[in-house]
Amino acid sequence: MKRTFKLFFVSLVVLLMTVSCSKNSGSESVVKFGFIGPLSGDYANYGTYCRDAAKLAIDEANKSGAYGVKFELVDIDSAADNNKALAAVEKLSSDKKVIGILGSIVTSETFVVGERCQSEGLTVMTPSASHKDITNIGNYIFRTTISDGLQGEVAGAYFAQRLGYKRLAVLYTMNDYSKGLYDGMKVAFEATPGCSVVIAETCNIGDKDFRSQLTRIRSSNAEAIYIPNYTEEMAQILEQASQLGMNLPFLSGDGFSNPIIYQNAGAYTDGVIYVAPPQTQETTTHDDFVKAYTAFTGHAPDSFATNSYDAANIYMAAYNNASKNGKVTRSSFRDAVAATKDFEGASGIINFAENGDLIANQGVYEVKGTTPVFLGEFTVLNGKIIEAK
Amino acid sequence: MLNFVLLVLIYTVIYSFMALGQNVITGYGGMLSLCQAGFFAIGSYTTGILCTKCGWNFWPTLIVGMLFAALLGVLIGLPTLRLKGDYLAIATLGLGEIIKNVINNWQSLTNGPMGIQRIPMVKVFGLTINPYNNKLGFLVLSGCILLICCLFLSRFIKTRTGRALEAVREDELAALSSGINSTVYKIMAFAIGASFAAIGGSLYSVLTLSISPGTYTFMMSVMVLCMVVLGGMGNILGVLLGAFIIQLISYLPDLTNLSSVIPPQCKEILFGVILVVMMIFRPEGILGRPKRQVLSEVGVMGAERFHTFKKIGRGFKKIGSKFRKKGGRV
Amino acid sequence: MSEFFQHFINGITLGGVYALVALGYTMVYGILKFINFAHGDILMWASYVGLFTYNAIRGSHPTGAFSVFAFFVAMILAALFSSVLGMTIEKIAYKPLRKAVRLAPLLSAIGVSYILSNTAQLFFGAHSRKLEYPFDNTPITGAGGISITPHQILILVVSGVTMVLLMLFVNKTRLGKAMRATSLDQDASSLMGINVNNIISLTFAIGSALAAIGGMLVSLDFKVYATMGTMLGLKAFVAAVVGGIGSIPGAMVGGLLLGLLETFGVALLRIPLGYKDTIAFVVLIIILIVRPSGILGKNIREKV
Repeated sequence: MKRTFKLFFVSLVVLLMTVSCSKNSGSESVVKFGFIGPLSGDYANYGTYCRDAAKLAIDEANKSGAYGVKFELVDIDSAADNNKALAAVEKLSSDKKVIGILGSIVTSETFVVGERCQSEGLTVMTPSASHKDITNIGNYIFRTTISDGLQGEVAGAYFAQRLGYKRLAVLYTMNDYSKGLYDGMKVAFEATPGCSVVIAETCNIGDKDFRSQLTRIRSSNAEAIYIPNYTEEMAQILEQASQLGMNLPFLSGDGFSNPIIYQNAGAYTDGVIYVAPPQTQETTTHDDFVKAYTAFTGHAPDSFATNSYDAANIYMAAYNNASKNGKVTRSSFRDAVAATKDFEGASGIINFAENGDLIANQGVYEVKGTTPVFLGEFTVLNGKIIEAK
Repeated sequence: MLNFVLLVLIYTVIYSFMALGQNVITGYGGMLSLCQAGFFAIGSYTTGILCTKCGWNFWPTLIVGMLFAALLGVLIGLPTLRLKGDYLAIATLGLGEIIKNVINNWQSLTNGPMGIQRIPMVKVFGLTINPYNNKLGFLVLSGCILLICCLFLSRFIKTRTGRALEAVREDELAALSSGINSTVYKIMAFAIGASFAAIGGSLYSVLTLSISPGTYTFMMSVMVLCMVVLGGMGNILGVLLGAFIIQLISYLPDLTNLSSVIPPQCKEILFGVILVVMMIFRPEGILGRPKRQVLSEVGVMGAERFHTFKKIGRGFKKIGSKFRKKGGRV
Repeated sequence: MSEFFQHFINGITLGGVYALVALGYTMVYGILKFINFAHGDILMWASYVGLFTYNAIRGSHPTGAFSVFAFFVAMILAALFSSVLGMTIEKIAYKPLRKAVRLAPLLSAIGVSYILSNTAQLFFGAHSRKLEYPFDNTPITGAGGISITPHQILILVVSGVTMVLLMLFVNKTRLGKAMRATSLDQDASSLMGINVNNIISLTFAIGSALAAIGGMLVSLDFKVYATMGTMLGLKAFVAAVVGGIGSIPGAMVGGLLLGLLETFGVALLRIPLGYKDTIAFVVLIIILIVRPSGILGKNIREKV
């Protein structure tokens, strides 16, 4: 019994010591942004891409000294675990120098992080969580990625009206991201008379073998397959479909923008049409970012990394604007972020809607060989797909 | 920072429910079960669904969750508990995966991969405990429930039933011949263990207010088993200590403000190293008492341990030369 | 009908890999009576080693004879590496625990598994890497649109040959006999002049080498990544138990059965494929209830 208490006591003392030590660190003039995302575990890929992009943005700003203050990114690993993500918020919000949070990456953890930050009055900006309800949590939640609703809407309308498909097959993963895109797409696709999803197959996260689903789809009379999944799954699906001798056209979502797909699926990517954030043609911001990012990490960015880079830059610009009116508080920072107007980011011109959603058109790409070709920017107006610009 | 520390303590309490349940099943009952995460999920989703879809209060859902998990424990226990050791482990592992899979796919009930959001906060005597800004209140609440569970367990193990259960663990045949119906006691242990995990799950729902099927992984069950073995099987305080230590390790980089210096993988590696070292030097856990009959073997083990390290030092050269010397003959 | 045969071919190749990996679990269990949780992670490390050596040897050669040669050399090197790794782990993490409580080696194995998978992620990063096919993997389409890829044929041939060799080794050689004796009774075997420690090392070496072969075969299709061993290991482990853990033919039967169940059972039942794993696990539980020691497992007699 005595020993138990001794052990408890020792661990508590260690805990308190570390807590008290941590209070004294850091200098006054630093402005901190928190980053929450999976840096280890199955989703580490997505987290590290976004973290590196945000780090790059902050390093660049610190080097150029454009804002006159030093920014710092405090990254905490959530391992795509809601518990750890919630703990990360507590940890970050206890540091008064943290005025905003970038993240989180996976949709389910973003719900938890979002709710907590909303109640705490801490701004959150996610580069990747696309579930349509995320921004409905409250006024402190923003995102630089497009909501499933919009992406699915453009995708569905484009497939029906531009590509003229009548019968579509879908193979989606049973997770929030993939299912959200499928739901959005289905509504828009079937809104066009005569169009229907004839077969919808599901798989689980981490599946590597999709031959059963593909064999079933092969026996259906679908004209094309929509695969709104993560990169790893899509690479498998494309390769195995070709092994099964299927030659239906493939359609996809923004997960396809990760260049890893061309390494893992190679020539099988030829002919895939996907919907993702549009590329800005006029400015050099995008190309500069890709160059800098590739030099920084050794690999090309995906669209989530691009979004994350923009989010970090928006944060710094917002801080700068807010600091013109005196000391920046968490709430004045939130207002400055909401006031962002026509921000020229690597993913295009960024504006936020009333609820914190990104106002943007969708880009459509077609892969020729292993290079995506930009087909144009689209949006949906009264159920009709129109080309923007 | 205080909020962060409190949250880690709340997690410790919530995991402690699972660990205590595991302790009843594995520590008292001697059965290796690997589906605490599944029962935890049952508790979470019972509360989540009943509170959001049917507008129930938290407290009745806690009871319903417990009963439901216990019922499931009995249903699965009846056919599988006659399995021995590792076969039982696999059957329960399968059960855990089935629960997770069904939750993820039964969309009309569980909302599938989208999970359930906006679970109402828990009310005690008309007082709402907001887990966001009243961490201390939540800790006290869950701590009180944990205390009740601990008291129940410490009483339970001293009752006739508890002693019968331990007798079954020590020697099922001897227990059978003393007129103890081993199956009944095993199933009882399973049901108690399952309902404890469900309590943790229900509390978890009102802590995060948002649940999704990705939480209830197989690794969660493994983690719970580690807590029990690390702390000391069959010892309530040991189990609590085990839960605390494992939470401490998993949040160590953040607690010490080193999260930006050391890569996130390091804490997992550290966890692995601690497990291995712990098992080599103190396999009965921190507070577990070495079994009396094993005592003599501890001495043997000590000597062998020394021997092993000497051998590792010499590396594989020795093993290789041994093989060669004997010409491949053994 | 053609869909039926297609599922059959897909299932049997998947099952072949499960069987190869399951053999490692079953051999270790047969001798030490504990589950080597780190087996899947040994497989993953071997796959990384195989991937790097394969890329180094192959260089920029196109698909063809030289690439196939490079693939097999890489496979042998990976198998050597993983045998050494398996033996080292046994010496450090399991050997001191032979007389400890039953749960201790299991937990120690979980610890080793954590160490291996996280160091791999630390060194090699979180993204998955592709192992290029050494041959042209265009499917061969037969009657009724049933297609089989050269890769699937490779899996069937290599796993078949490996399993036959293993059976011959265990049943016909002196070392195999010693191995079987050790699994029956360690004390009696050592009294008969068998060096039990060496036999255990040998078992780990063979089991890990089989994992390396299985890993290289699946990597062609499933890619190489740090957590690849977890799910594959779990499935193979289930296969080993279904077949009757400790029994070598059992592991083969269990692996094939699980592979077929996953692809083929669900497809015929026409239920959503999201429930694929549920079906596999329900069948697993039913098999265990009907035959508590697995399909080919020996019935353990109650000792009195």
